[in-house]
Formats: sequence, structure tokens, C-alpha cells
Amino acid sequence: MAPAILLMVLGALCPAVALLLRLTVTQSTDSLGVKLTGFLQIVVLVIGVLLVVFGVINLVRTIVRNGRIVRQAQEEQAELHRIGLCRELSDAEFLQLDKGEKAVNKFVRGLVRIPVGTWNGIKKIGLFFKNAALGIVNECKDIWKTFVEGDWKTKVSFLVMGFGNIARGQVLRGILFLLLEVVFIGYMILMGGYYLSMLPSLGKIGPHSEMKLVPGVGEIETTVKGDNSFKILLYGVLTIFFIIAVIYTWRVNVKQNKTAEMILKSGKKLKSGKDDLRSMVDDQFHKTLMALPTLGILIFTVMPIVFMILVAFTNYSSINDGYETKLFTWVGFENFKTIFSWDVGGVNYAATFGEILLWTLIWAFFATFTNYFLGIAVAMLINKKGIHLKKVWRTILIMTIAIPQFISLLYVSKMFTLNGLFNGFLIDLGIIQPANAIDFWGTPTLARIMVIIINIWIGIPYLMLIATGILMNIPADLYESAKIDGASGWKQFSKITLPYMLFITGPYLLTSFTGNMNNFNVIYLLTGGGPTNALRSGAAGTVGHTDLLITWLFKITTSGSDPTYGAQYYLASVIGILVFIVVAVISLIVYGLLPSVKNEEDFQ
Amino acid sequence: MSKQQNSMKQHMGMKAASRISNTVVYIILVAMSVIWLIPFVCIVIQSFRINPTGMTRYLLVNPEAALKPGLEIRFGFDNYIRLWNSDFPRWYLNTFIIALVVAVVQTVIVLCMSYTLSRFRFKLRKPMMQFMLILGMFPGMLSMIILYQVLKDLGLALENAVPGLILVYVASSGMGYYVSKGFFDTIPKSLDEAARIDGATRAQVLFKIILPLAKPIVIYTILTAFMGPWGDFVFARYISNGRIAAYNVAVGLQSWLATDTMTGQNYTMFCAGGVIVAVPVVILFMCLQRYYVEGVTGGAVKG
Amino acid sequence: MASVKLTNVKKVYDNNVVAVHDFNLDIKDKEFVVFVGPSGCGKSTTLRMVAGLEEISDGTVEIDGEVVNDLQPKDRNIAMVFQNYALYPHMTVYDNIAFSLRLKKVPEDVIYAKVTNAAEILGITEYLMRKPRALSGGQRQRVAIGRAMVRDSKVFLMDEPLSNLDAKLRNQMRAEIILLRQRLDTTFIYVTHDQTEAMTLGDRIVIMKDGYIMQVGTPTEVFEMPHNLFVAEFIGAPKMNVVRTNLIKEGGKYFVTPCGAKIEVTGEKANLLADKGIDSREILLGARPEHIVLADENDPGAMVCTLEVNEMMGSELHLHVYTEDGTRWIVRIPTIDLSTEQRKALVAGAKLYITFEGKAMHFFDPETEKNLIYGE
Repeated sequence: MAPAILLMVLGALCPAVALLLRLTVTQSTDSLGVKLTGFLQIVVLVIGVLLVVFGVINLVRTIVRNGRIVRQAQEEQAELHRIGLCRELSDAEFLQLDKGEKAVNKFVRGLVRIPVGTWNGIKKIGLFFKNAALGIVNECKDIWKTFVEGDWKTKVSFLVMGFGNIARGQVLRGILFLLLEVVFIGYMILMGGYYLSMLPSLGKIGPHSEMKLVPGVGEIETTVKGDNSFKILLYGVLTIFFIIAVIYTWRVNVKQNKTAEMILKSGKKLKSGKDDLRSMVDDQFHKTLMALPTLGILIFTVMPIVFMILVAFTNYSSINDGYETKLFTWVGFENFKTIFSWDVGGVNYAATFGEILLWTLIWAFFATFTNYFLGIAVAMLINKKGIHLKKVWRTILIMTIAIPQFISLLYVSKMFTLNGLFNGFLIDLGIIQPANAIDFWGTPTLARIMVIIINIWIGIPYLMLIATGILMNIPADLYESAKIDGASGWKQFSKITLPYMLFITGPYLLTSFTGNMNNFNVIYLLTGGGPTNALRSGAAGTVGHTDLLITWLFKITTSGSDPTYGAQYYLASVIGILVFIVVAVISLIVYGLLPSVKNEEDFQ
Repeated sequence: MSKQQNSMKQHMGMKAASRISNTVVYIILVAMSVIWLIPFVCIVIQSFRINPTGMTRYLLVNPEAALKPGLEIRFGFDNYIRLWNSDFPRWYLNTFIIALVVAVVQTVIVLCMSYTLSRFRFKLRKPMMQFMLILGMFPGMLSMIILYQVLKDLGLALENAVPGLILVYVASSGMGYYVSKGFFDTIPKSLDEAARIDGATRAQVLFKIILPLAKPIVIYTILTAFMGPWGDFVFARYISNGRIAAYNVAVGLQSWLATDTMTGQNYTMFCAGGVIVAVPVVILFMCLQRYYVEGVTGGAVKG
Repeated sequence: MASVKLTNVKKVYDNNVVAVHDFNLDIKDKEFVVFVGPSGCGKSTTLRMVAGLEEISDGTVEIDGEVVNDLQPKDRNIAMVFQNYALYPHMTVYDNIAFSLRLKKVPEDVIYAKVTNAAEILGITEYLMRKPRALSGGQRQRVAIGRAMVRDSKVFLMDEPLSNLDAKLRNQMRAEIILLRQRLDTTFIYVTHDQTEAMTLGDRIVIMKDGYIMQVGTPTEVFEMPHNLFVAEFIGAPKMNVVRTNLIKEGGKYFVTPCGAKIEVTGEKANLLADKGIDSREILLGARPEHIVLADENDPGAMVCTLEVNEMMGSELHLHVYTEDGTRWIVRIPTIDLSTEQRKALVAGAKLYITFEGKAMHFFDPETEKNLIYGE
């Protein structure tokens, strides 16, 4: 019964999908994308019809052979129940399953964990906001209470930060608070106010011509530069950061007044400036240590990311540079729409993005797992009993890690050019004719295979090192007991070595996968993204067959010489955000599938 | 395994079997070593080549061709001398300064960060670590555009790219705390506690107890921090933006290769430059290899 | 030398797990107090709160009358020995012991005198220039103690200092700690999970479970007058036998009826039961293995049972038996009380008759598990 209904519902959904596909085509041009969508629509519709037909057939059969089917369905239900597809099994129940059933159970439970995990994540986020809101309400109540119940020193401190501290003898703290307030007020009057007020518009007057009176010459038309959108956005963001920081400090200031009053009331002494300084290297040492690194991260990582996220909602490019030529402004979700459109001014952004994303994922998959397994294999070869000169083999490989990648990558890239060393060898050995030299970097598929192979060459020494370290850490008694139990070499590998490696390096594999998605150096230095994909190049730079999202992003930001579009920074930002989303989703899924997220305290 | 096979194996003796498999392994290892080393051997040979039209490949496979008049290959130090007179010393100095400063400052910052996150339990600790994890998911290149504009405003880009690059490298180095935090986590906390009861402040615990015990990871951090700038290409290129005097070696050598054909002079000079860049780094690396291995394996194990 | 006072001390971890509930204890000057309990009972957490290594969630800790809640460990003037010794691996034994003195900027000659003196007392003079990793477990433990000794601190804290040592060394070190205590003559707080250590070392024992204090008392008190079933079972080895049965009051006399037998309660216990006015009721009956004896078949208090395991401990035998209703008992009999023939008969499956001494029984409420006589 259920499968029939499911089939029919799915079938009924298909026309809706087809309709959605239809809607993505904004203009009726004859581009490949449009053809593709048309084709897809037909495919989807056909599938829908088939599904409905199958569903009806199924239903009829169900009704005809009702009695038997019901019993069978019940059995199926029981079977599913036993394998545990729709519930968690207890350990004992799980152990009773046979091998295949265990695999099915694990897979399905893993898949189930993804939506559950995602839902939990969403709930957590919701809870976070709820708690944050509650927290703010509580803070406000506390602030009000402090004001009502506080003495006059505290009350003055609400306006003059640090006053209470100074009045109660904590001069050092007080002066710092006061200083911050003075700086803040000064900044807001001199700069912050202007930038903040311009933030919604990103500038009103762009570069324009003006008649200027030059002494001795008369009035001349000159170009005058107006607002600077870039600076408005940048300093606007910074000002908001600053305001938040000041509000927080103000809150700390209020709180300190409260605690100071309480301490004084209970007859104890307040901490002096000297005590404060002393606690900077003791119980508050972490604040001292974290101050500089955190500031660095805030200014050089967080701020640029916030800025660039905002840029994705503007039309900032090297042409709309916001100062020299034209102001830029907010455009809402326009850029996101562009990148998911089949046709904007004759360019198929969606297809370009889709192709590059696909290749990025394929690349990351192969780059990660070929390196991983071959690295383990090499480590095991060197570790094999009876192999001499282990250190020498290892050192040869390790040495290559030390050579800066740009040297090896650039050199290897040249080795495989048409007239490079490799073709030269083949010609000299008489394997190929000079005319048939292999065009490694000119053939899309070959180039893709080559970057994966060369990446293996680059990555194996590193993985070999990691694998060696872990292999040596596998307790020898595991192997001994396996041998006594009669496990062969392959069994030992598949039952002990590999599970152990996978368990320990699970998180590493994840970071390595996402790292490879953003592996700029290997791709850019080897192929520069090429060979050029003529079909996809154009508005968003020259796109090649080996381009990853990250190299595409780089190309867009450096294609300032393009006369019509310039460097489309806004597009680069959109791509950056999409890369983040892809990486985050993959990480979430993998963490959902990992048996247990390791507790960091386990290593203590 | 069938009985027949079993008896055969006994007949042959386990030793013979393992000898065969070992021979296979040796062949694989030798082949691998050749594959891994050949590009580097070629770079060194090419760096000594004088006449740019000759082909190194002849030397290796077809000696007669190499000796053909007009095509014969001659070797000498010409490339290195030319290198000395080019922009290369400038680039080398740039990179060296960057690497040195970054090695020092980055190590300090990373150690501060990882010690704090390993040893202190404060309210913002977990959120901070999660936040940094999320930050790490954004492609770093994204921030290039704005950093370039800001550095340009500050006068730290273009001709002055060196201090600008240092700032960029150093500023976000707090994010790279994973490996050393993992190492700190393995130092028993009771040592800290014993020292604190013995009368040490938190700072004294760090300097007198933890740092002396963390020597391997300190060296690892310095080493990786020092090696990073030698290979950095993207930021260096973007921030120097065509100002040759402010290039680092990676950008400089790449610019040679990009503007020249296979047989041109720049190519052999690139090789010579590569040798000069690689040799000191490799020597340093080999001396400190032990610490590097320790850091890498530990880091992967701890995730 | 100082008193330590814990008032309503509470520890709640970030994940809202309460490790210690409302802990109240007065430790007198120069007293040796042992915290004992199964793992996870909060004993180490309490000690660490005294040391300042763990934040105090609620209540106050006073050392010598001064509230130390907000003081850093270094400012509390305490010394501590850790379970894993926590010797600084990169320093020699001498530097390890001298570390705290150097931090206090004590002149080197004074340091030298103190360290060598401590080393002499502990018998580690010849190892002074070695690194900890070159020492055996026992030697490391001595260094750790030496490091705490030279501090002349008010309170001496020890967190399971013997549990990483093998059994023989543990006995030896236990004796040495008693000597050390006499020599140092200061306040000690000692944490252990081993009831033998607790009984032999402590002036007073604090028995803890799940963050609650179960009983505080001298070794004799906790052994003879356990307040509840937990303390009764925890103190003493092998564990006390406990069986659910009835207490019957018949004509001014009390009887218990385990496994069909009828045994009269005698001695002081009978009087105490009468004083408390306890009537016939269901109880949990506790009898220590050493108070169970082999009995005659005709004894009205005799219970027939089957021998399962016979553990020969040397000076005594531990007999694991079970009665007809399936209750398991451990009986402890001095080897010397049995003839060779009797001993030979004690093989698995043998039929035995046991009873227990009426004066040494314990009675617990089955619901609250409190001692009917001593429980508050």
C-alpha cells in the first residue's frame, strides 16, 4: 500500500519540478542551458508519468492480492523493524543481524542522523537566540536595578564611565574606562557619525565635474571626488563593531560599580591597580594572552569576512570602485540571482558555477582519498618487516616536503608541456613522434587526471608521515591477538589497521577534504585553471576546465582589465559565500556520520 | 588456504616467500624514490646549464644528440651570476625578512593561543573555538580584496608590500592553534596545578614548566612559520601588485616563468633561483626533521 | 599548622552536574583527616576546592580562620601531593624540590639546607641530581612528598598518593606517611578510595558517596557504629554480609531469622535496641565475615549452606558459601582455628553449618538504609 502511494505522490510532484525548471529560464534564448532545461523538463515529466503508472499498477495488485499482500507487508514491516531501519536497535539486537544487514543498518542510521543532526543544530541555534534574547532582557533588568539601587557614584558612572572606579580608588581601571569613552565620543563626532549615516546609501555624491576657480586662469572644469563607498562600507562596519564594543564595556563598567558597592558593603577591600596588574599574569593571564591574537583575528579575519559578505549584496567591482570612477550601492540579492540564472546577458552563470562546483567536489574527493590510501600503503611498505634502510626511504620522501611547493609545482608543470622534458623523453626513446607530443595541459580530461596524479606526488610524503606515526601507535597486542585468532595479513589490515586509522584520522580527513576544495596552489601553479573552457568563459573571467571555485574566485578578483565587467568583486564574494556554505554543509554531514564526535578531554 | 598451498609454502620456507615479497617492495621503493627525486635532480642540472637552446633530456637518454655541434650542452655558473645581478637578491631578502619576522611573531601568538585554550576554562572558550572553526570555512582569499585596499590606504601595499605581508601573515595566525594545543593537552594538568600550589603564577607556569616541556612543538611551530612565506604566492602577488621590488621569491620566479618559453634564459634562471631558495630551507628542515615529524603526526592524531 | 573549616561547600560543574552537596566539616589543627569513598564521590573535588584548583560554587572554605575562596592556590599556603606525583620532568630532583623555594626567592644556601634535609629524611639524597624519569615509582613518590615538605605549609593535602604504587610498596609508604606525619606535625587532608589506608592513617575519616558525606568519625566509630548501610559495607574487608530478614521481639528478647535460623541478639546491641524501643519489623541484617562462625548441626541458629569457593589467605580462610534460599555469604575463619582434617574437608560443594555472633550484628532500615541504632 505504502509504496504505491509513495510512487504516486512522487509522480504527482514531478510536474511541479518541471514547472520550477521552466521558471528558471528567464529569457527564451537558444543557449545550451535552455536546451538542457527543456530536455530535463521532458525527462522529469516522463519520470512522473512512469511513477504514477507504476503506482497504479502496484495499487491494483495490492488490492487484488489483498490478503496475501497484507500478510507480506506485515512481514516486511517486521523485517524492517528487525533490521532497525526506522528505530535505534539495542546492542544485542544489532549483534544478531548478519553482515549485510549490519551494513544496511549502519548506513541507514547514518543517513537518518543527518536530518536529525541538522534539526538538532537548528534547534540549538533557535535556543541560542532565545537564550540570547533572555540574556539581554535580564541584563537590562540588572542594569536598571543597579541604577535604582546604586549610590550616586554608580549613578554618575552610567554617564561618565569609570567615575565610580576612580571615586572608589580604582584609578587605573577608571582612567581606562574614561579614556575609552572620550575616544569613542571623539571618534563618533569626527568620523563615525558620518560613516554610519552614509551606510544605508553607501555614498551620495560620486566623482563629478565641477567648475573651479583657479587664480590667474579663471574657472576650469575639474573632476571632484565625492564620497568613497568603499570607505563608507569599511568604516561603517568598523563603527558598528566599535559601538558594540563600547556598549559591552559600558555594561562591564556598570557591573563593576555594582560589585564594588557590594564588596565595600561587606567590609572588604577593592582590588587596587597593582592587584589588577598582578592578576594580569595570574588568574587573568588568559585575557592577557588572548588579547593580541584575538584582536588580530578580529581585524584581519572577521572584519574582512563581514565586509566581503556585505559586498555580495552590492555591485562593487573595479569599475564601480566607489571612488575613482563610480559609487557602488546595495543591490540586495541580485548577485545571488545572477549566479543561479541560466541566462544573464547571454552568459550562463548557473552552468558555469555548477560545472566548477562539480569538478571541485570531484577533485577534492580524489585528491583526498588517493593521497590517503596511497600514503597509508607507502607507509606500510616502508614499515614492512625485513625492509632495510627504512630511514633512508622515509627521508627521501620527507625531503620533498621541505622544497617550497611553488618550485616543484611550476617545474613539474613545465615538465609536462608540449615541448617539455616528459615529451622529450618519449620522443628520444622513440615512443612517440615529435608531431604527436602529448598535450597534457591542453586536453581537459587529461589535464584533470594530471593534476590529480601530480597532487598525489605532492601529497604522499605528508600522508606517509602521518600514517607512519599512527601505524606505530597501534598497540602491537591487537595484531598479536588477531594472529592468534588466525587473521591473515589482509584481514589484519581491513579489521585492525584501517578501522583504527579511519577512527583516528576522521576529523583530519574532513579538514583535508575541505582544504583540497580550496587548494589554490596546486591548481593555479600547475595549470592556471586551464585549458580554457570556451563555453563558460566571458562575463565572469576566463574559466578553465581545471578551475576550482577558489581559482575562479581569484581570477575574477584579478581580472581588472576586462573592459565591460572589470573585476567583479561582488561575484567573487558570492562565490566565497557559496564555498563556505558547501564546506559547512559537508562538515555538518560528516560530523553527523562520524560515530562519535571525539571529546577533546579524552586526550588529557 | 588449501592444504596443498599450505604444504607448498612450508616446503619453500617462509623465508623465501618473504624474500620475494621484500624484493618486490624494494623495487617499488626504488622506483618511488626515482619518481620523487627526478624533478629536483633536473632542476639542479638545468640550473647549471649555460646555453638555453640545448635540452637536458639529451644528456639523460641520448648522449650523441647532446654532443651534436651547436646543440651540445655546456655547464657553468652563468645562471647564478646572472641571478645575482637580477632582482632576485632583492626578492630573496624580502622573503627572508618576512619569514624571519613571521617565524618569531607567529610562534608567540600561536603559543599564547594554544596554551590558553588548552589550560584555561573560561566562558567564551568553546564558543571561540567553534567560531574560529566556522571562520576557517570561509576561503581566505575572500579577504584579499579588502586587505589589499586597507593596506594600500595604510601605505603597506605595493612598494611596501613586505611589512604589509608580515602584518597579514601574523595577524590571523591565532587560528592555527590546533597542533600545538593538541600537544599542550598531552602535558598533564597536574604539573600546572603542582606548580601553582608551589607558588607559581599562571605566567610562571607557562614559562618555567610548560614551555620547557613543549620544546618540540615550539620548534615545529617556528619551522612551519618560517617555511610558510617561502611558498606563499597568492597574497604576495596580490599585495605587491606588479611592484617588482616588493616581490617575494615565489612571485618573482613565477613571473619569470610566465613570461618566457621553455628554452629561454629565464627558465634556467628560474631553476637556479629555485635551487637557492630550496637548499637552505631543505637543510634547515632536515636538521629539525624530528620535530616536524612529531608535530605533523601528533597534529593528525589529535585532529 | 592550621585548622580548616568547610561550610556549606558545594560544587556544580558547567554541565550542571553537582559533584559535592553542602559539605560541612571542621578540621582541627594538626588533625589527620581522610576523605574516602568510591570513585566519583566528590572526595577529590572537595580536596581540590581546598587547594584552590577548583572553583567553589557555593559556601566557604576557611584556612586558619581566613576565607580563602578567592585566593589563588599559591596564596593559600598549602602543600599538595598528587596521585601521579606531578614531578616536573625537565628538572632534576633537587630542582623539583627547590622549585617552590626559588619562586619565593629564598636564598640559595637556605634552599640547599632545606632540600638536603628533606632528601635525607626521605632517603633520596643519592638521587638528587637525577631527572624524575630515571626514578622508580616509590622514589618519585618520595620526591613528591619532599617537594611538599620543604614548603612548611599550613595544610598538607594528599590526593591518592599511594594508588599508583604496587601493593608491597604501598604498605611500606603508608607506614612512612605515618612517620612523616609525626615529624611534620601539621594538618593533613588525605584522599583515598582504599578503606585500609583510611583506617590506618586517619584520626578521622570522612566517608563520601555521590557528593554527600555519609559519616564522619574515628576509624573505630565508622567500623563499629556505621550510620548507614553504605558505610557498613564500604569499611571492612571482605565486605559485610547483608541479608533481608525479620527482627522479632519476643518477651523482651530480640531475635533475627535469616534463612530459617533463629539467632538471639545478645550483648550491648540488645540493650540498645530495647532503649530505642524498636519493635518487631523487617530489617536488613549486617554481619561482618569475621563474626560468622562454623556451627554445630544442632545449634538452633545454624544455617545450612554449601561451600562455593575457599580462598586461602594464609592466616585466614575466606569461605564463599550460599544458603538454601540462594543468599551468598562470606565467612572469615582464622586458619589456626581449624584442624588439618577440617581444612581438608572444605572443598567446593561441601555442606557447612554457620551461625553468627549475636553481639556483633548490625540492623538497617530496608527503606532508608539507616542503622536502626546509630543512624541519625
